[in-house]
Amino acid sequence: MNLRHLTCIASLLATPAFADFPFDVPHMIEQASDAGITHTYTGDWEFFVGGGAASFDCNGDRLPDLMLAGGEGPAALYVNRSETAGALAFEQRDFLGGLTNVIGAYPIHLDEDTHIDLAVLRLGKNYLVKGGPDCSFEKANETFEFDTGRLWTTAFSAIWEEDNIRPTLAFGNYVDRKAPGSPFGTCSDNQLLRPTETGYGEVTVLTPGFCSLSMLFTDWDNSGQFDLRITNDRQYYRDGQEQLWKISPDEEPEAYDAGDGWQKLVIWGMGIAEADLNGDGRPEYALTSMGDTMLQSLDDDADEGEPNYTDIAFDLGATAHRPYTGEDIRPSTGWHTQFADVNNDSRPDLFIAKGNVAKMTDFAAFDPDNLLMGDGQGSFMEQGEAAGIARATKGRGAVIEDFNADGRLDLLVVNRDGPASLFRNQGRKTDWGHAPMGNFIAIELANGDVNPRGVGAVISVKTGNVTQTQTIQIGGGHVSGQAGFTHFGLGAADKASIRVKWPDGGWSQAYNVFANNFVVLDRDRSDAQYWYPVPAQ
Amino acid sequence: MTLMKPLTFALVVFAGTASAQDVVWAEKTPALGQADLPVGVLSPEALMQLRALGEDLFAATFTPLDGAGRPRSTQAGLPTKTKRPLKNDFARTSGPDAGACGSCHNLPILGGAGDFVTNVFASEGFANHDFETTDGEFSLERGTNHLFGAGLIELLAREMTEDLHRLRDDAISAARDMNAPQTVVLETKGVGFGMITALPDGLLDLSKIEGVDADLVIRPFTQKGVVPSLRQFAVNAMNQHHGMQASERFGTRWTGESDFDEDGYSAEMSAGDISALVAWQAGLPVPTQARDLPQDWIDAATRGKDTFAEMGCVSCHRPALPLRSLAFADPGPFDTAGTLSTHDVETPAIYDLAGLEWAAELPRDDQGRVLVPLWGDLKRHEISDGEVDALGNELFGQGFVDRTQFITAELWGVGSTAPYGHRNDMPALDQVIRAHGGDARAARDAYVNSDQTTQLDIIAFLKSLRIETQ
Repeated sequence: MNLRHLTCIASLLATPAFADFPFDVPHMIEQASDAGITHTYTGDWEFFVGGGAASFDCNGDRLPDLMLAGGEGPAALYVNRSETAGALAFEQRDFLGGLTNVIGAYPIHLDEDTHIDLAVLRLGKNYLVKGGPDCSFEKANETFEFDTGRLWTTAFSAIWEEDNIRPTLAFGNYVDRKAPGSPFGTCSDNQLLRPTETGYGEVTVLTPGFCSLSMLFTDWDNSGQFDLRITNDRQYYRDGQEQLWKISPDEEPEAYDAGDGWQKLVIWGMGIAEADLNGDGRPEYALTSMGDTMLQSLDDDADEGEPNYTDIAFDLGATAHRPYTGEDIRPSTGWHTQFADVNNDSRPDLFIAKGNVAKMTDFAAFDPDNLLMGDGQGSFMEQGEAAGIARATKGRGAVIEDFNADGRLDLLVVNRDGPASLFRNQGRKTDWGHAPMGNFIAIELANGDVNPRGVGAVISVKTGNVTQTQTIQIGGGHVSGQAGFTHFGLGAADKASIRVKWPDGGWSQAYNVFANNFVVLDRDRSDAQYWYPVPAQ
Repeated sequence: MTLMKPLTFALVVFAGTASAQDVVWAEKTPALGQADLPVGVLSPEALMQLRALGEDLFAATFTPLDGAGRPRSTQAGLPTKTKRPLKNDFARTSGPDAGACGSCHNLPILGGAGDFVTNVFASEGFANHDFETTDGEFSLERGTNHLFGAGLIELLAREMTEDLHRLRDDAISAARDMNAPQTVVLETKGVGFGMITALPDGLLDLSKIEGVDADLVIRPFTQKGVVPSLRQFAVNAMNQHHGMQASERFGTRWTGESDFDEDGYSAEMSAGDISALVAWQAGLPVPTQARDLPQDWIDAATRGKDTFAEMGCVSCHRPALPLRSLAFADPGPFDTAGTLSTHDVETPAIYDLAGLEWAAELPRDDQGRVLVPLWGDLKRHEISDGEVDALGNELFGQGFVDRTQFITAELWGVGSTAPYGHRNDMPALDQVIRAHGGDARAARDAYVNSDQTTQLDIIAFLKSLRIETQ
């Protein structure tokens, strides 16, 4: 090795002491209190699970605002007042009169106005909530003829089927507390609601239910058809397993079984995230659990249409099975999970919120959140401690968003029985301050009046010989969802070419864009529209 | 401040080769690795030292012992692996295609332009990186530009970008404050770049911008105008032409590998090496209008200069653009990840070009701004049309710029840098003038329709714009 340049390289690229990881590690600084977020998710047994966050723009400034579940306490709305590339700041607002018993929420467009709406998951009555001007919200169950009863709802996903003007909704439910013998073996069924001309009517029951804690409409085989993946908590089901439901507009929903190639998997499933890690057009799935995190990839030997998965978490260094720092070596408890490129190097990273259920002595008490960062070889390396997120909290739901429009993804984690954490991504830390990481592009789709965000669309971003894809989805994680710009790290690429597979299957032309910009891709325009936040002072 | 490392060479064992001693006859470049990354305002002496190293690097013929060659890396600016190891150390088409920068940049002296034989073949370097033909479907054949005055060109571009961004920011703020669209004319230094309309929600209507990219960054370098800085160009060119890979883009931070091109050498070019190259190029003197000419040539050139303006040539080939500051920050403000930028360092180096001997000769306006006599506008224009299409000969665009649009060639030094045209295939100025179509069609027609004496006056003027060799 030629050692001539070591001195100046070391001073120039001054990275902290995590020499095994060659790429930038973002310095995440917790500043929830300073930013005006003082919020706790709390409650008894029914709120051991849940604790979701939803991020969305509710006032038209394209900055992500927040709704945080409160459990027994009130849910809260936080309107984003952050300055561009500056300190994070939020203004707390009332949310539906201090609505309690909220488990989580997902942003969604339920009608054709421009305001974002919400699906609010609760212990008891779920709500469809209609958004209005200036972050105003109102319950709209009657408007949408919506009623899912009074269950314990812990999962949600949605997709637009065919030409429907409203999305099909799926609700995942947990333990039926009133059933004989509860809680063990008494999981509620899940529910599917398809739109009618006036709203939602009949509920289709997806039975059996196995105490789902996350669900996601997903095009698992790149067929253009979105089926429903559900992860279930083995703590309470009997003879249950993970599930994949075939969802076709023309047929009754049907669970894939062994005859279809589906392999039984029994875990304490708590969260789902998907990303196409190997670029084959068929997503991999991260499934959080107690102990190992699973990372599933369609088996190489699977026949077409056969959902036969292989776990690759160990091969890729992503098991996250116990705390990566501290003295506690008992198994971890994973909740929300999400792929995102937090260092903008063009390689997906994997975040996992961790935290003991309550006081389960068989599992780690100190259980810091994970930040498994792509290592450039297709695997992951834990960098949570280096990034600054290894804290003694009980993480549940989370969103990874660029709250101050600086091109770097920040992190909001809802913690059980403790204040929510808000980490500002300051970039890479040097011995003189913070410096930029890789380039980025942030993309918003404009799909028209119906399904305006283009849920179901696939965005492909090409830089050189590398193509990254992300699918616009509603669902997954742990009772947490977001609606806003879709963020891609570009590494050293200063420009990118983007194509969109719209929800109806049509492909866009190429949109050529310069890095480090926010762009809106309107399917009726041939050019990308650039968006700029309020100029930094 | 120490800019140069001691010129004493230790015994170094190179991975992948037999041991080699750093003796004076070793096939290595002594200047390589000698420059630390400079910081702060450089004294005239420090700048001179740094530029001397840069000149040595620019003139050096890089060898395998320096790390030249890229058997597993393509010519792409974005680090990209080859599909298979390159067969040869040199390839005239896809590169590496030169031992030294000076192999091509040598007309009339080091840092100058190049003859047709020095043409380069620009391609993305991704899927079809290893083309072995000059066929236009694989690459864009381009002549070698000169670099004299390049520091002032970059400074002008930076100031123009700052101006355009300020106009954009003001429009965005006003649109939000007034809740109404705001249309702003984009003009900087007297050069118009169309207009933008900011909408109250922060979206921009960019459909009426002219001659500049959608991000409103002036990219003054290459014939196409797609590179914003000498630093980015140096990093690109070092890889493409020599297989010398700069750590700031090809190092572990972006590629995860210390020897991305797999030639057995890591850290082939440090950030300090690139700074030295930038400093040398940025400090090259500006071309001038020759005064040591016969009187009849001077008289003809004087008439030609006036006619050049009357015919409208100066609508693009602006005689001069005003520059507010000669302080050249390196790294600069408008590079993005993969090229060091101002934001990547605690304190950038400042090369005060005003302290260089040639700068004292530059005229200033009544505001004290230097009038940079570039004979250009740093704007891209349509250069061909249906009838006059010789310069619209490329098959595809570059850097998102249409195939028939090119940045106005700065004419300073044009009398020293034949042949002409972006393919460098027109030996005479008369030819390249006649080849102007598109936005330049009216001025070109005026020239073509003028009498021979008038045409010769213009040629006399253009040939008086020279790179001084003394």
